[in-house]
Amino acid sequence: MAAYTTPVQVLIDELGRLPGIGPKSAQRIAFHLLKVPADDVARLAHALTEAKAKVRFCARCWNIADDELCPICADERRDPTTVCVVEEARDIVAIERTGEFRGRYHVLLGAMSPLEGIGPEQLKVKELFARIEPEGITEVILCTNPNTEGEVTAMYLARMLQPFGVRITRIASGLPVGGDLEYADELTLGRALEGRRDLSA
Amino acid sequence: MIVTRIELVDYRNYVTAAFDLTPGITAVVGRNGQGKTNFAEALGYLSTLDSFRGAPAEALIRAGADAAVIRATVRHDDGRELSIEAELSRSGRNRVLVNRQKLPRTRDLLGVVRVSVFSPDDLALVKEGPSERRRFLDDTLVALALKYDAMRLELDRVVKQRNTLLKQAAGRLDEASETTLDVWDAKYAELGDRFGQARAVLIARLGPIVQEAYEHLAGVVTPVELRYEPVWRTLGLAAALAAARHDDVRRGVSTVGPHRDDVELVINGMPARTHASQGEQRTLALSLRLGAHRFVTEHTGSAPVLILDDVLSELDDGRATALLHHLPPGQVVLTSASALPPAARPDAVVRIEAGASAAEGSGTGPWQGPVGDTVTGDG
Repeated sequence: MAAYTTPVQVLIDELGRLPGIGPKSAQRIAFHLLKVPADDVARLAHALTEAKAKVRFCARCWNIADDELCPICADERRDPTTVCVVEEARDIVAIERTGEFRGRYHVLLGAMSPLEGIGPEQLKVKELFARIEPEGITEVILCTNPNTEGEVTAMYLARMLQPFGVRITRIASGLPVGGDLEYADELTLGRALEGRRDLSA
Repeated sequence: MIVTRIELVDYRNYVTAAFDLTPGITAVVGRNGQGKTNFAEALGYLSTLDSFRGAPAEALIRAGADAAVIRATVRHDDGRELSIEAELSRSGRNRVLVNRQKLPRTRDLLGVVRVSVFSPDDLALVKEGPSERRRFLDDTLVALALKYDAMRLELDRVVKQRNTLLKQAAGRLDEASETTLDVWDAKYAELGDRFGQARAVLIARLGPIVQEAYEHLAGVVTPVELRYEPVWRTLGLAAALAAARHDDVRRGVSTVGPHRDDVELVINGMPARTHASQGEQRTLALSLRLGAHRFVTEHTGSAPVLILDDVLSELDDGRATALLHHLPPGQVVLTSASALPPAARPDAVVRIEAGASAAEGSGTGPWQGPVGDTVTGDG
């Protein structure tokens, strides 16, 4: 099978380990890298090592940061009483794009999944509880993914947060805005019906 | 809905082959081992994305080929035509195109082509363990409403997660894992209660239809019952899981819930699995399939394509004739290696030889039934 000289094969193998990169893509990227000037490759290599060395987790919310705190936690204008719990740092980016949320975040770094060996201990759950009182948090919005593992994680957090006496909310699931009803899958549409809003008042 | 044409490329023993089907009864004939069941299986695959023989996807790809392609032209009752193409690849990257548009997920094909398959393997419904009957029930639910497919997948996933958690606990739970298990239980209970309710409603509706189908086939009044009475449903799954927790933790596996359900089949007041004769068991298995097919037809307002794969040869003459007389309306494909009984009046005949369809119906094979409009294939 190994049709390439060892360094090339190693490169293809390493690229192939990245998420979303299959064997064909890995091969294409590898050959691209071999073709471009050495400077370009050096710049990429530098960017990789630099990012890995400099980027760390926010000490408060486990978002990606280049300092002690991430830019959101460092921003004094954000509302400290509302915290939005997400699975991954990239979910923050998605929510930030909405411009609807002015509170802070908490990144769990995953969702509960025994099959992957992930329980509450592997997630930043204790860290969340430890923030409630010192930061004067009054509402926790559970924004984990609307799949099995995300739902179970949200249920777990809702239970564990009960004694803190904070308001616990779950992000709604339903129809994409600007979409057509007929193209919505049945599960989403069913959820959207369940979570309907009263307009009669 | 009917299938007007099927093309196979590198599917099982087919290199390339094409079959035109009539809206009525198409008989697919040929000696054993020529590819009749493979043809039926390909048609069934478009409906469930699964082999009704339970074969893994690699087994469906012709030896030496990288990918198999099944193409079909489907005509809906309103005259709308769809072209469907499913590619099964050895790398596991399957693609499905409808009218040349790639579907985002292959599972989106479910519900586009609807097929009911009767095969000699159906005897397992009566003779084998509960998983066969659960699969039958759940496949029927999915044929009734697609939401059950997603629900079934999620239910499987929750059980798998819960079992892993129990295994990890290795016989004892600390307080923290207790809470984690509580949450998985809550999720399982929420899904399981809904799914159990769906199964119960289906069984209640299916019972009388299966009874009627059985009587048509057997020609005598025979009380047939389908019993779905899992104990957990009397408590509700949440309570049943709580009651079983100690046992579950000790054994490291989920011992109650819809994933262990069974449907008891009863003939003349006795369990069919242990007390019915081979003939009765075959008739009952066929009645279950017929009943489900009828119910799906009534409920959705349109008949799935009915495939009878080598079923006639398994029945005695009386029952085979009764089956043919009581065939539900809609498109039927029946395969046979032996002479068709006189009651089978196919509208078209496709003769299959070594993975290709032949143009005529006269050949030297053992099939001697009446020949209708003969169908041309270009394999």
